Amino acid sequence: MKFKAFLTENGVSLLEKRFLPALDKMGKICHLYLTRDHAFFLHNLLNGDGIQSVAQFRKEALFDDYRISSQNGDRIAFAVDVSLLHRALRSSVSICTEFGTGATANRLQIKLVKKLPANSTQPMPFLSLETKGFKSAVIQDVPISKPLSRTHLLELQTALGLAQDLPRTLVQVPDLNQLQSFVDRMKHVGDLLSVSIAKYGDLHVQISTTLITLGAEFRKLLVVGDQAEAPAEDRNVSAQTRSSRALLRGDAQTVQVSVKHFAKSLCYHLAKPDCAFYGIAPQGACLTVIFQFFIPGSRQMDKSISLHCRLPVLDPASS
Amino acid sequence: MDSDAPDLVCQLDNVQGMVDALTAVRWKRHQDAVIELSEHGIVLIVEDSNCLQAKVYLQRELFVRYEYGAQGRPRFGLSLGLFVDCLNTFSVPGHSSAIEIRYPGPDMQLLLKSVESLDSGIYAEMRTRIPETISWDYNFEPEWSTPLTFTVKTAALKEAIDDLEWPGASIQITLQPAPPSVTFRGDGHGDLQIDFTYYANPDLLIAFHCDRQVSHRYKYKFLRATTSNIPGSVVRDNRGSKLTIGRGGLLKVQHLVSVARTSTAHPHIDSAGYQQPSRIAYIEFFVKPEEEDTADD
Repeated sequence: MKFKAFLTENGVSLLEKRFLPALDKMGKICHLYLTRDHAFFLHNLLNGDGIQSVAQFRKEALFDDYRISSQNGDRIAFAVDVSLLHRALRSSVSICTEFGTGATANRLQIKLVKKLPANSTQPMPFLSLETKGFKSAVIQDVPISKPLSRTHLLELQTALGLAQDLPRTLVQVPDLNQLQSFVDRMKHVGDLLSVSIAKYGDLHVQISTTLITLGAEFRKLLVVGDQAEAPAEDRNVSAQTRSSRALLRGDAQTVQVSVKHFAKSLCYHLAKPDCAFYGIAPQGACLTVIFQFFIPGSRQMDKSISLHCRLPVLDPASS
Repeated sequence: MDSDAPDLVCQLDNVQGMVDALTAVRWKRHQDAVIELSEHGIVLIVEDSNCLQAKVYLQRELFVRYEYGAQGRPRFGLSLGLFVDCLNTFSVPGHSSAIEIRYPGPDMQLLLKSVESLDSGIYAEMRTRIPETISWDYNFEPEWSTPLTFTVKTAALKEAIDDLEWPGASIQITLQPAPPSVTFRGDGHGDLQIDFTYYANPDLLIAFHCDRQVSHRYKYKFLRATTSNIPGSVVRDNRGSKLTIGRGGLLKVQHLVSVARTSTAHPHIDSAGYQQPSRIAYIEFFVKPEEEDTADD
């Protein structure tokens, strides 16, 4: 089992400045899953509860000179502490910029190693970051879990496949920061958020307890997938009436999710996505949030990076 | 009068000012408040242990629209914390923070909604309660013909009260005419005395009226409630708070909180630093003295 690659400059800045801070907010531990062509950062794919999150990079988006081999069809997966990886990467970057001269001098190598830690007789696996300066080399070893067995790897691969299904209707959220500050304030009022998405481009979120009902409605959002014209008779009614009418017509879906999960998903604005879409999976299986990235300086989607998460739906009766 | 017309429909162009004003009387997590509506405005009243009462006056001049359609003065109870958290949701940065407040809804709720573009909006419905009893009347009146009163910079008052935390549970406030001064004294685990003298601290002690020495003790926790949640805007605006001692040692603490939008606040401030009264919410606290008070009289 071998993995060795050089992080590109773009890869370093993507991970250090954008993705690792965002992924760290999602959860301390994630699985890093490496295949011949892709690197994935996966949260909560193997255990049922919590937000499932998938960040996928084509190898060229992060690495060059990428070499991987294993007996599981050149696939390797292990659990890693995101904040440790972020810290190690940050300090490697500062060393790179401090000592680096020329294009080749400050390359950052990342590889899988087994080492004997101090006071131990058992060799342990590490993800090792190596920076070669002019006169010195700095190596940082980030401890990782034992690589996943063939069975677990298959499980992860299956879960990843299942996590890729798209909702029929997706609406684009106009302003992530604003939605985040709104949800952060709403958090104080209740725990359960009901989210309705209509084919007309309506997103309606609401918290309802015995003492208070508090909600927000965003209309005329950009719709991707199934869409419909908003009926004229709905124009002058309350947000709640509009939502329930759309549900009755079969033009909308609604699910209940944890406010905390919803707020957490919004932390992905740290990864600086260019746009975000919300959608409800068929049969109301989950609330899906898809973040898109553009090729810098264009409005074209960067297909080498993808990020999405799936919020578990809560049964209103059980809460 | 149309019986279907709501008691009140009003609009406020800056919800943050209302959040600030109400936060000033939020001294603990769970507080029940009573709201009283009238043609003059909205009054919110909170009470604690029959010893402390606070009132927030939001006069009708603060509202861009105020349509009062009730007879008598409707009163209802609600949770102050929930009300503040709810209002706070309306003041998301980058969003117009104008709101409409309506009472009652079909089920006697308090209805709130944002007033802005048709394409996005925030709304809330708060359950209200029938207030349990007529709140105990604090019946503040001066003991003598000339009121015993002083005005101190709010920031200095808050700092003094915060500093008095360590000595103990009971704070003695003494006013004396010669030399004109106010003394806060706490003794318990240790003792600490804070003096505001009119001649030495004219920038802190702005006004002082006292013709005889008076001294009363107040529970620290109630005194602290009067300044613990003063909004930052009060300190930034360098405002003063007025304290008056009335019959039986009842202490009245008055603060002024700006309800104006920050962007339009400055044109209202004249050279003396006072804002037009229409953009100010008045906040009053009444603190009863401790039973075994040592009023020298």
